[in-house]
Amino acid sequence: MKAESQSRVFEAVPGSLEPIRDFITTFATAHDIDKKKIFKLCLAVDEIATNIINYGYRLADIDEGTIHVCVSYRNRQLTVILEDHAIPFDPIKKGMPTPEELMKPVEERPIGGLGIFLARKSVDHFDYEYKEGKNHNIFVVDID
Amino acid sequence: MGFTVKKEIFEKYIAFTLCGSLDSSTAPQFNEEVRQVILQNPQTLVLYVDELNFMSSAGLRVLIFAKQKLGTAASLILVRPQEQLLETLRMTGLIFSVSIVDQYPE
Repeated sequence: MKAESQSRVFEAVPGSLEPIRDFITTFATAHDIDKKKIFKLCLAVDEIATNIINYGYRLADIDEGTIHVCVSYRNRQLTVILEDHAIPFDPIKKGMPTPEELMKPVEERPIGGLGIFLARKSVDHFDYEYKEGKNHNIFVVDID
Repeated sequence: MGFTVKKEIFEKYIAFTLCGSLDSSTAPQFNEEVRQVILQNPQTLVLYVDELNFMSSAGLRVLIFAKQKLGTAASLILVRPQEQLLETLRMTGLIFSVSIVDQYPE
């Protein structure tokens, strides 16, 4: 019997990025989800988790932050929710590079700014909520 | 899975073989390697990436950094990237700034 949902708490440190991806991959693979979709989901989650680790908790001056990862599969949708108690940060309010900017030669581009773009573009639905003192980043992949 | 990077210096190019996952925990290691070889002003930087299973924007930033430092005349060549990595390069437009080949040297 495959679990409908699983959750785990990870330390908010760079060394947790791969274990978070592995946790999601193991769950998604057990539900026979296409490898390409799993990769893109992991990329999206990795980008947001990186922001939480590198900026969210640092700016909040919290040394021992955590990221709560919940992954679930219902109604042909795979959903990952990341919860953290770092500073409130809504990735949807962050500007995205325009198609023109993405076409620019690399020499004329800023070095940053691609992470949130990749996070939002790599899943079918991305949402954000701040409630009960926590950021909730929600990633949904539709399964055909 | 982790990450490993191997450097080889040839007369006409410098090559890195990347294996595993290039995320924000491992990209600083690769960035430092790139920073050091840029000092030698190579005209061609070759990345063997067929065993690179994951690359986030932290890895893309190293590619952008390398290309910016090498200059427009220099080549950044990726050998046999996996399909997922190719898609990331397409989505971000970086595909136009690198060369993708099946083998190097030919």
